[in-house]
Amino acid sequence: MRSAPTPHLDVATPERVALTLPVAGIGYRCLAWLVDASLLFFFWLVAYFVFTLLVSDVLGVFQALSGVGQTLLVVGVFATQWLYWTVSEVFFHGQTPGKRVLGIRVVRMDGSPVGVYESAVRNLCRAVDFLPMLYAAACVSMLLTRQHRRLGDLLAGTLLVREERIDLDKYTAAPATSAPLPQGTGARPLSPEDVELVLSFLSRAPGLAPEVRQRLGTRLVERVGPEDAEARAAVLASAERTEAFLRARVQGER
Amino acid sequence: MATPLPAYVAQRRADWDALQALLAKQRSGTLKLGELRTLDTLYRRASADLAHAQTFYAGTDVHRFLNQLCGQAYASIYQPPRERWPAVRDFFRREFPATLRRERGFVGASAVLFLLGILLGALVVLWEPRGAELLVPSGVRHYVAQGRMWTDDILSVAPPNSVASGIATNNLTVTIVTFALGLTGGLGTLFLLVNNGVHIGAISALCAREGMLGGLLDFIAAHGPVELSILVIAGGAGLMVGQSLIDPGELPRGQALAVRGREAVKLVLGCAPFLALIGVVEGYVSPGDLFPTWLKAGLGLLLGALFWAYLLRAGRTVAEATGAPADSAS
Repeated sequence: MRSAPTPHLDVATPERVALTLPVAGIGYRCLAWLVDASLLFFFWLVAYFVFTLLVSDVLGVFQALSGVGQTLLVVGVFATQWLYWTVSEVFFHGQTPGKRVLGIRVVRMDGSPVGVYESAVRNLCRAVDFLPMLYAAACVSMLLTRQHRRLGDLLAGTLLVREERIDLDKYTAAPATSAPLPQGTGARPLSPEDVELVLSFLSRAPGLAPEVRQRLGTRLVERVGPEDAEARAAVLASAERTEAFLRARVQGER
Repeated sequence: MATPLPAYVAQRRADWDALQALLAKQRSGTLKLGELRTLDTLYRRASADLAHAQTFYAGTDVHRFLNQLCGQAYASIYQPPRERWPAVRDFFRREFPATLRRERGFVGASAVLFLLGILLGALVVLWEPRGAELLVPSGVRHYVAQGRMWTDDILSVAPPNSVASGIATNNLTVTIVTFALGLTGGLGTLFLLVNNGVHIGAISALCAREGMLGGLLDFIAAHGPVELSILVIAGGAGLMVGQSLIDPGELPRGQALAVRGREAVKLVLGCAPFLALIGVVEGYVSPGDLFPTWLKAGLGLLLGALFWAYLLRAGRTVAEATGAPADSAS
């Protein structure tokens, strides 16, 4: 069974277990960038409107500022555009707010968190990745490299890994019904693949079209269900009974 | 035979949940010393569980979950040392100048390219006056033809401070781009260095022909030495990156790039505050005639000398001072 068809990062730990982390692809990264970019944009928009609400004569206030204050303000605005990325990556464990929303994280090639230098390199390289427009160079680089790294990542030795939200409750959920069910006499133990198959079917079943739900349920019952035809017919009588049987079958594996 | 999957999850899940809770605490910075020990134990247990899952439950959600859990725990346990304020101080007192001295070959090459550009631009305009049409921006040519300095107008149109901030951000952008273009195998950096040199050379030559060299010197004397030095240093950083792409040495290209990129960015980060400061000088002191030319020139030379003295002397080790190469011990 192929466990990781998507690109991944292999990490060798001192505990002698190989970690395999899924790598975030171009879609995740573009979305995260969009979130960050619009965050910055709306921050300045809101700041501007609040400022104009509080102060009627914007230009006057700006000119009344002392020269050094004014210089610092403009340099500060410029620096936020560049520092935003590095500061949030260093302080929030490799995640800008956008990356946090998308559940992706910057790590070094050995899986450890990024430091100041790596983060600075990869974010300064946005200047080149952006060329000729709208991150075209970065997109080409991400499409060509195996682990979807843009030029800045190549220079910094970093990449983005994806964090999935995995629900373990489905393994331990109690059977919903107590109706008497035909237990397969001398049922053979299920393999982990079968358990996984049945559980993923059960978690998706409420969203399936009725006939698909029926068909998939039937096939699963044929795979894991009772051998004799009579018991099988009883199980297949309705979708509810089929699923109740499958759930009980998996839970019976305890 | 392995335990059935649901039973295994039910049996081990308490530990995993506890580990997740501890990791969340660690991330928010409220982890206590006693809990640290528990975190370590739980991480080792989860690693063992991951090994078990790899063997018996490969490809299931449990496997993926444990992978991710161990990945997060691994990242928070094996953290690199954190860079804090003392590290920043140390960076400017020792590391940045030391890096620059170690990579002086690249900075030197960058300087040579830049000077070559200046020479080229100047010679072209001096020998062939019509070359100025190609090399000097039309706005500047327009001013020079009228016998005025275009820099005088910077002052009259905008207040000096907005000029300062505009110049500072513009210089920062040029520095960043010069460094980042090293990713084109150094070609982009090379182009930018020569191109900037040609521009400056051509403008100086044009001013000299029109008898306005004094005016130009008046404008660039105060900030020129430091600003051009920083451009050259950023160029050196870009060339370092380019060299690691072309000739990675004994490392695979990707690794060489990462190692050299880490060194090169120190040069750029180190230059950033100086660039912001010199932007203030360029905006306040350089334009107009608030200050006499000799004062501007003196200030420029003084700043340049201070900058290079800092770069060449700060944090020198005994080995460097006696001329022995630092890595001769190995």
